[in-house]
Amino acid sequence: MPWLLLAPSITLLLLLIAFPLFFALYNSFYFWNLQMSPQPMAFIGFGNYEQALSSSTFMLALRNTLLLSIGGTAIQFALGLAIAVLLTQTLRGVTLVRVLLIMPTTIAPIVVGFLFRYLYDANGGLLPWVLQVLFIPLPPEGLLGSSTTALMSIMFADVWQWTPFFAIVLYAGLLSVPDSLVEAARVDGASRWTILTRIKLPVIKRTVLIILMLRFMQLFNTFDLVLILTRGGPGASSRTLSYSLYQQGLIDFNIGVASAMTWVIVLILNVILAIYIYIAFRDWEW
Amino acid sequence: MASEYKKGISRRTLLKGASATAIGASATSLLAAPAIAQASNTIRILTVEDPFFFALRGVLPEFEAETGIKVEMESLSYGGLQARLISSFVAGNPDADLISVDNIWNGQMMDNGWLQPVDEFIAGDDIDFEDFMPEVIYSFNAWRGKIASLPVATYAQGVMYRPDIFDALGIEAPPAVGDDLSAWTWEAYIERLQQINGQSFDGQTIAGSVVSGQQPAPVVHMFTQIAASHGMKWFKNFPQAPWDFEPLMNSPENMKAANLFKQIYDLSPPESLNYNWFDAGTRFSKGDIGMFFWWTPYFYLIRNDGYMSGVPSAIKEKYATAPLPVASDGTKQTVSLGGWSLGMPANSANQDQAWQFMRWATSAATQKKMGLYNEFGYQFSDFGRRSLYDDPELKEVYPYLDDQLVMFQQGDGKFSRPPSPIYTTLEGIYGLQLSKILSGQSSVEDSLEETNVLFENVLKGNFLIPYERDSYDDTLEGTKELMAKLAGG
Amino acid sequence: MHRRSPVATVLLYLALALTMVFFLGPILWFVALAIRPPETAFARPPVFVFEPTLRAIKHTFVDPGANAQHLTNSLIVAFGAVLLNLPLSIPAGYALSRYRLRAKKYIMLWYLGLLMAPPVAFLIPYFILITRLGLSGTYISMVLVLQTLTVPFSVWLLKSFIDDVPVELEEAARVDGAPWHTVMRRITLPLAMPGLIVTSMFAFVFAWNNAAFPLVLSSGSTTTLPIGTLGYFATSGVTWNFIASAAVAAMIPPMLVFLTLDRFVVRGLTLGAVKG
Repeated sequence: MPWLLLAPSITLLLLLIAFPLFFALYNSFYFWNLQMSPQPMAFIGFGNYEQALSSSTFMLALRNTLLLSIGGTAIQFALGLAIAVLLTQTLRGVTLVRVLLIMPTTIAPIVVGFLFRYLYDANGGLLPWVLQVLFIPLPPEGLLGSSTTALMSIMFADVWQWTPFFAIVLYAGLLSVPDSLVEAARVDGASRWTILTRIKLPVIKRTVLIILMLRFMQLFNTFDLVLILTRGGPGASSRTLSYSLYQQGLIDFNIGVASAMTWVIVLILNVILAIYIYIAFRDWEW
Repeated sequence: MASEYKKGISRRTLLKGASATAIGASATSLLAAPAIAQASNTIRILTVEDPFFFALRGVLPEFEAETGIKVEMESLSYGGLQARLISSFVAGNPDADLISVDNIWNGQMMDNGWLQPVDEFIAGDDIDFEDFMPEVIYSFNAWRGKIASLPVATYAQGVMYRPDIFDALGIEAPPAVGDDLSAWTWEAYIERLQQINGQSFDGQTIAGSVVSGQQPAPVVHMFTQIAASHGMKWFKNFPQAPWDFEPLMNSPENMKAANLFKQIYDLSPPESLNYNWFDAGTRFSKGDIGMFFWWTPYFYLIRNDGYMSGVPSAIKEKYATAPLPVASDGTKQTVSLGGWSLGMPANSANQDQAWQFMRWATSAATQKKMGLYNEFGYQFSDFGRRSLYDDPELKEVYPYLDDQLVMFQQGDGKFSRPPSPIYTTLEGIYGLQLSKILSGQSSVEDSLEETNVLFENVLKGNFLIPYERDSYDDTLEGTKELMAKLAGG
Repeated sequence: MHRRSPVATVLLYLALALTMVFFLGPILWFVALAIRPPETAFARPPVFVFEPTLRAIKHTFVDPGANAQHLTNSLIVAFGAVLLNLPLSIPAGYALSRYRLRAKKYIMLWYLGLLMAPPVAFLIPYFILITRLGLSGTYISMVLVLQTLTVPFSVWLLKSFIDDVPVELEEAARVDGAPWHTVMRRITLPLAMPGLIVTSMFAFVFAWNNAAFPLVLSSGSTTTLPIGTLGYFATSGVTWNFIASAAVAAMIPPMLVFLTLDRFVVRGLTLGAVKG
């Protein structure tokens, strides 16, 4: 009976997921450039994998992707936690702030891309002006134009969008921690920091683990922001794996190489996910 | 890399398979999704949103009234158009009866049987075919002895500068068309930029120039002009027979051109590293740039503040045009040509109506009307027809037409950006490396060496090195003969 | 409650104000772009006070109003995705909540894994498949592939809502001889109705905000709002007022949904893992 109920969704999803994966697996062994033929053209073994992995930008894209996803998740978590603690204080208007705070998270990432492209604009954008007023030096090519700041600017936009998500979720988590636990610790003379890190966070570990994983994965797959903000440039300094894949598949139309790249990314993701799930979800009850 | 592909099967067998599929492509895709062939009196046109689109749309009612054919025009961004076209070709579904074709796409679309050659339409009609400049037809439309499409908006490249700034700073102005150009070298061009850069004029600090540094297409479009001036060839032998796609990206000519380009960027606003085509033009029209070179539509676009705004720019009356600089070693000048043609998808069911529109839109009369169409200011002088360059009314509106004509006569679009089957991929690699050069992430030498290696890998990976399919000896002379033949027939 | 020093209080209010400015300021600045005179868009120093103009909104949504069609398309696609999503995810959520399954953990994780799949990896195969099927540019193609996002999300969230419905009520009905589908229809679903509504609204936002699939699957007449906005980044120049006008319109529905669902936001965002 339960399987009957699960069947429709699982069948559809299997079709929708399995098809692309098998499609990519099959074609990753073929030379197939859509600009030359609507059909796969010749079997070439692992040639596409070689081409995908040996391209000069692969390692850089992998590095950028990891930097972005690890750095972004960490910053969002830290900032979000700080804001969550702030929200638990008794202050006037704190409820209104909590309700409005989530707004950035509701926006489509591609729209966040538009918004920050406007904010970052080297000729008259608001953010360069703010930084100038604060005497923070800017690269002359602009925030998105300099190879030292392009990736950071993408990360910053993502931090802006998703820190409220961490803040709101952690806030709810902190509130759910039973007062008795906190009181007991306070009686023992624990500092607020100790209470937060030793009592409260462990209690809401489950929440923390889930949102960390969700965000890490979403950041790992970042694509909309890169497309709108930098297209991976200048050079390849802000190129991510997802953007490389987009370029190979939908700009160069080299389906073979893109398919190989798909499998490389899927494998990397699965390894990371498996390790994470093994470590973090061991003692979960379902 | 490609040498390892063999593994048991010989390359020749692979290639036979490859070309067989390629040739059978149109047939298979038609089988996969049979197009519903039904002629109707409405045609659909899919085009890029370049200036010509607005002018063409403006004069369109005349065509509809004249012929009773209804026209639906849809415009897209460059990338959007390309994706739409490829998807419709893959599916074998006619997405449109006419499409705008980048000169770079012609060959690839013809080789795949996606475009219907229009030779027979031309031969059976009176369209004054020989009025088109042969350089244009050669660069845009001729492929393997056939005419794939007809030009609707053709661009060359030229220099725009500010005589008022030159005067105020006491800098010698660039020569005019007809002057002796031997001293007007890229080095002399840069020397002028150096004199301008950082000077103050009219209360602003003036930058020497502005570049279009965004990767991939904009930066490649701009750089390849400097490279073409220096006689830089992309491949060992193409498009003249026998085709040999061995890349020559690290040639001394290209190194020299890249060094010059880097110097020009260093005399430009740093943020122009990320400028696309239009950003560069807009920046010049803001008034703080001394001189730059770019596609000829900017000769008129910079008169406006913003695209299609109808608001005159700060420099509307304050700029002049000049010919492109030449190489200092006396290499014969080659001007980069680019732009758009109208082509007929082979699977369109309305080819007769489509042809009527094509001949109308590319006719001298319509092109002139487009030039005189004045909704947001006059915004179309991208003529591929020789006769329009002598038209007094047009010359009144576009005083630079004489200069522009000379640029076209030195033009060779197949030299500056050769339409190899995987041009887009190569442009992506090239653009990325050029971006690295400009931003200082790597040296000219390293970048171009790397470009060459990457080109070679990709060309081998796509079975273009060694080239074992049919070559075609593609020359300007051959195009002239073809034009005479079709016009005579 | 322990006392705070006045200095601490001031600092806390300052932090609160900074938080607001940092997270809401950019949104307001973008909204302002939609209604400011174009020449002030990139003025240095920035122009904060200006006379609002509706020109951009008129151009984008009324005359010629290219984005009005995109808005309709976005609504069709997002509502379509929600409608298809419900019959698929309700039974699955019910099964995972009510039945003991040894594979439950793996099924749940499988759904979760789908949410983390790289969307770009699927773009190319979908692009080819959908074109081959002759479905390219249709609403149904987008609605269909959006299920890869909405279904896994909804299954998780619905399971958590159904968990909240006391199983005793169902058992009572079942003792009276009602078959399972009657129980589900008469007892469980009405009680889980708030959960259904919340789930649908979040699924709507997911579908609405997705840009990757419409990027390759939509055509001129079915383009959704975010992709329509992307169109303003033409080869020939960026018209920022139009971009802002269209993009702000794309922001509004998700914001309204989140404001309405305030109480459930945390639960929705954590797939039901945190009851908030």
